[in-house]
Amino acid sequence: MDAEDSVSAPAEAPAIEATELHRGRSRMLLVSVLVVATCGLVYELISATMASYLLGDSVTQWSLVIGVYLSAMGLGSWLSKSIERHETERFVQIQLVIALVGGFSATMLFLGFAHLASVRPLLFSILVVVGTAVGLEIPLMMRIMRGYALKDLVARVLAFDYLGSLAASLLFPLLLLPYLGLVRTALAFGLLNAAVAGWSAAHFTPDLRRPGWIKAQVGLVAAMLGAGFVFGTEIEDFGESQLYDFPVIFSQRTPYQRLTITRWQNDIRLFINGNLQFSSTDEHRYHEALVHPVLAASVQARPEVVEGRRVLVLGGGDGLALREILAHDDVGRIDLVDLDPAMTELFSSHPMLVSLNGGAFEDPRVHVHNADAMEWLLQHRRDDGDKFDVAIVDLPDPNNFSLGKLYSNSFYRLLGTQLRDDGVGVVQSTSPYLAPRSFWCIVATLEAADLNPRPYHAHVPSFGDWGFVLIAKTPRHPPLHLVPGPTRRFLSDELMSTLFVFPADQARPDDVEVNRLNDQMLVRYYEQDLAAPLGAAGRGG
Amino acid sequence: MDLSRRRVLGAMATGAATSACRTSPRPVTSRFVGQLAERGHRLRDGGIPPASAPTPMTASVVIVGGGAAGLSAAWRLRRAGLRDVVLLEMEPAVGGTARGGELPRSRYPMGAHYLPAPHPSFRGLRTLLGDLGVIVGPTDRPEPDYELSYVCRGPVERHRYKGRWDPGLYPTLGESDEEQAQWLRWRDHLRELDGRRGADGRRLFDLPVLGSSTELRQLDRISMATYLDQLGLDSWRLRWTVDYACRDDYGATLAQTSAFAGLHHFLSRGLEDEVDRFILTWPQGNGWLTEQLSERAELGDRLRRDTVAYAIDPDTGVVEAWDAAAGEHLRISAHTVLWSAPRFVLPRVLPRGRDRLPAGALTYSPWLVASVEVDEVPAGIGTDLAWDNVPVGADNLGYVVATHSQSLVDAHVPGTVLTYYEPLLGDDVVAERTRLLSGSLSQWTDHVLTQLDGMHPGIGRTVRAVDIARWGHAMVRPVVGHLFGEGLRQARAEVGRVIPCAADVGGLPLFEEAFAAGVRAAERALAQLGRSEATIL
Ligand SMILES: Cc1cc2nc3c(=O)[nH]c(=O)nc-3n(C[C@H](O)[C@H](O)[C@H](O)COP(=O)(O)OP(=O)(O)OC[C@H]3O[C@@H](n4cnc5c(N)ncnc54)[C@H](O)[C@@H]3O)c2cc1C
Repeated sequence: MDAEDSVSAPAEAPAIEATELHRGRSRMLLVSVLVVATCGLVYELISATMASYLLGDSVTQWSLVIGVYLSAMGLGSWLSKSIERHETERFVQIQLVIALVGGFSATMLFLGFAHLASVRPLLFSILVVVGTAVGLEIPLMMRIMRGYALKDLVARVLAFDYLGSLAASLLFPLLLLPYLGLVRTALAFGLLNAAVAGWSAAHFTPDLRRPGWIKAQVGLVAAMLGAGFVFGTEIEDFGESQLYDFPVIFSQRTPYQRLTITRWQNDIRLFINGNLQFSSTDEHRYHEALVHPVLAASVQARPEVVEGRRVLVLGGGDGLALREILAHDDVGRIDLVDLDPAMTELFSSHPMLVSLNGGAFEDPRVHVHNADAMEWLLQHRRDDGDKFDVAIVDLPDPNNFSLGKLYSNSFYRLLGTQLRDDGVGVVQSTSPYLAPRSFWCIVATLEAADLNPRPYHAHVPSFGDWGFVLIAKTPRHPPLHLVPGPTRRFLSDELMSTLFVFPADQARPDDVEVNRLNDQMLVRYYEQDLAAPLGAAGRGG
Repeated sequence: MDLSRRRVLGAMATGAATSACRTSPRPVTSRFVGQLAERGHRLRDGGIPPASAPTPMTASVVIVGGGAAGLSAAWRLRRAGLRDVVLLEMEPAVGGTARGGELPRSRYPMGAHYLPAPHPSFRGLRTLLGDLGVIVGPTDRPEPDYELSYVCRGPVERHRYKGRWDPGLYPTLGESDEEQAQWLRWRDHLRELDGRRGADGRRLFDLPVLGSSTELRQLDRISMATYLDQLGLDSWRLRWTVDYACRDDYGATLAQTSAFAGLHHFLSRGLEDEVDRFILTWPQGNGWLTEQLSERAELGDRLRRDTVAYAIDPDTGVVEAWDAAAGEHLRISAHTVLWSAPRFVLPRVLPRGRDRLPAGALTYSPWLVASVEVDEVPAGIGTDLAWDNVPVGADNLGYVVATHSQSLVDAHVPGTVLTYYEPLLGDDVVAERTRLLSGSLSQWTDHVLTQLDGMHPGIGRTVRAVDIARWGHAMVRPVVGHLFGEGLRQARAEVGRVIPCAADVGGLPLFEEAFAAGVRAAERALAQLGRSEATIL
């Protein structure tokens, strides 16, 4: 859109002969209309997006946000009549309010969401402030430009106003959201608003009562927004640390992931990329359910082994599964493969964490390999005499395509080749309640890999109903008795037989496909499951 | 606070955190890589310096051309225990159109980039894959185990339509009922043909293609476009998908490709739903295969790089060659000569009048392949980045991602290499070739970056380097009448002691054809030497 052409003096005589200066100003003012309109709609879109992300039920949220915003604009237009003097100065100040509130809208919502009981009042306050201010502006602008005939003025201003909305509605989904993210998009548009304010203050200096003061305000707002934009990552980090319920006592960004540990009294929690991995109050449930049944199955398969049972652990860099395995005296060697050296390092050195896993990494039976699980298996193919009795697969949930390969039938087949013929294993397999299609897809995939899956589940309060799958090279019944010896707080022989029972509302759906390496259905199922109303939890890495 | 909140916020934070703000554009280093056009042109224009004192050599077999075909022949001869073999390759590196290149972030394919897992009936290729460790364990099971690091992991393909990326290669966005019905009808049609054998007991569409049953060979006489017309399939979506396949495999449009070749693409390796259809790929594409073949062939210094064969006497088996790097002339007396260089070059080295193949009997499509190193892995709106990323409605075929199946250990290394493919599709291949070779480096660089920008607005800011390969005679084009016509039959015919055996005389521009042609020629040479062996094919 060429501003030059569209704003050149109209053919019919304007009410007052436009001077050069006047024309230049109106041109810029019309560009301001465009900017203001674009910004206004962007803030509205950001609020609506945040609202539907955060509050769910997107149809209601969208229509509420649009309704509130539009009516606030109406309010603004109506209020504009009460501004009788100093229109230019008010115009600049209103710009600044929009810049500040709109620019920090996403940041405020983001932080508010972590801190406030309900984020709705904040959301609607932001909408009302921004909407009213935008509503005030268009009438003000028309008044500043009163040199033009009314029909001309209305035509131009409104045309630019609506054009701006078009620009925003295209830019937002196609460029801004994917490239800048919500927080920075809002800040960038705040800066645009501040630029318009700055420009107006510079060009209408004679109309301002205290030009120096106004310009200082512009500078301050621009500086705040600019700082926000530059330190966007830090702000988000700070915001993130605000997300945890309890004080963060450790936080580290490794090349692979972000590790965060929180502590409140005796509750120590580990988060990877913001996803809860365990809470020390109930992790024993998870790890007993993961480890003890499969070791019982191994003993059932090879009762004669009193020492030297070989165990492979994939994932589990926190050493908590190790603690449970090491409680079994017949285990002779454990190979643990975890991608991230920072993780195994942390859990073998931090005193509080070491006391959680009982110093598992100190045990001479444990051998740690920091590698991609699939590659490690490929590079360490074993001869018959050397294969594993037990494989424990404790990997993050399949929430992306790089992880999905570790849940594929090809991967399971490879895993199978590294197990003895009487070997057994277990796979952590997300929640059968919250992510049912994912859970049963893993079962179907293990079936396709001829690993005779036996799904079971246990209640882990901080995760909900959690699923596991027992596997075996040769078909066998799940064990009825646990191995005597280790102390347990959760599992017992009585509980064992109930783990393998699924109630009717958790029956296996009959249309789940196998997760093949080359199509990775599981990752799509997982996305769908989590998007469904029930889906909430996840141990994604 | 519940976990879903955290998840959402985590996702939003990452979305914002990955946006590095960069203002000044950085200079992009670009260069031409691959075929040194002037070497080939010397042959055409008589630019080989006169031979002074050629070094005399002898060999049972001389292989001219170190592409997939020549190296497969060398591998086959080595398997038979024949060591008295010399291979001449005019470029500084072997591989031909299946050669790998290198940028700091990753290796990349200069041309051929993948091999579909072969159909169980293609025993010879399975033997090769077993030998190279691509198949682990027995190779004769219907579904053998593939070395997983060579299997292209999902998502394999996605397409971009109306600004959004969606899985697969069929654009469904806005599909009408009629279009959907046509698509299902097309899938049914393929399923009906799949696995059927002709009255002669052969598969209808087999690899190598000349082993196919005679039953449907008349389809070579109409174009794929006509074939779809006859089936009443006029949905643009369906036709785009099939056209894409022809352009991707053959560098030819729907209207140019023979219907037999078009169907062959979909059916020769078995339909997707019927077998676990893997694609095998490596960062350097099929360059991995040719590098491995070259290693297994154990040629040592009998592999002569930088060496152009410029004259062959088909009656005596004397090959004259010039080592451009050492400035040395060779005169090799061979029992048999395997011509695994492109067939159109042969008349330039034979005595005048010895080649009975009419000029222009085979058509070759020119291709542009550009590998682009970027700082940030591109994403786009819609489904996740796939290995192969294809824009709907563009002339180019999109790009493949060199680091797609990389180890999780390397997942944090930023950036990647994208390899962009564009066949030059005009009917007048000579004009297209001129266009390809006369464009300047900066023109082609701009062109490639503009096309990529169409898929990923703003990607230019992240580009570090561009390597451009121009293939004047990239692929033999299976135009109407090509496969079972007189031209190809004559192209394959032996000329005295010379056996033509590159992929182009096999009929289709595929690794499988190059391999089969090379192996068959090697077995024929063994027979001529009195060392007949059972074929592995
Ligand atoms: C851009 C592109 C993408 C492709 N993608 C795929 C794919 O994904 N999958 C697939 O299966 N196929 C693909 N192909 C086709 C595939 O590359 C070929 O079918 C196969 O690799 C051809 O091998 P070849 O040995 O027959 O011929 P070439 O690769 O052409 O090799 C011929 C060799 O002969 C040498 N030579 C020529 N003249 C002389 C001489 N006078 N003296 C000495 N040496 C000489 C050349 O330098 C060259 O190295 C692709 C091809 C191109 C160009």
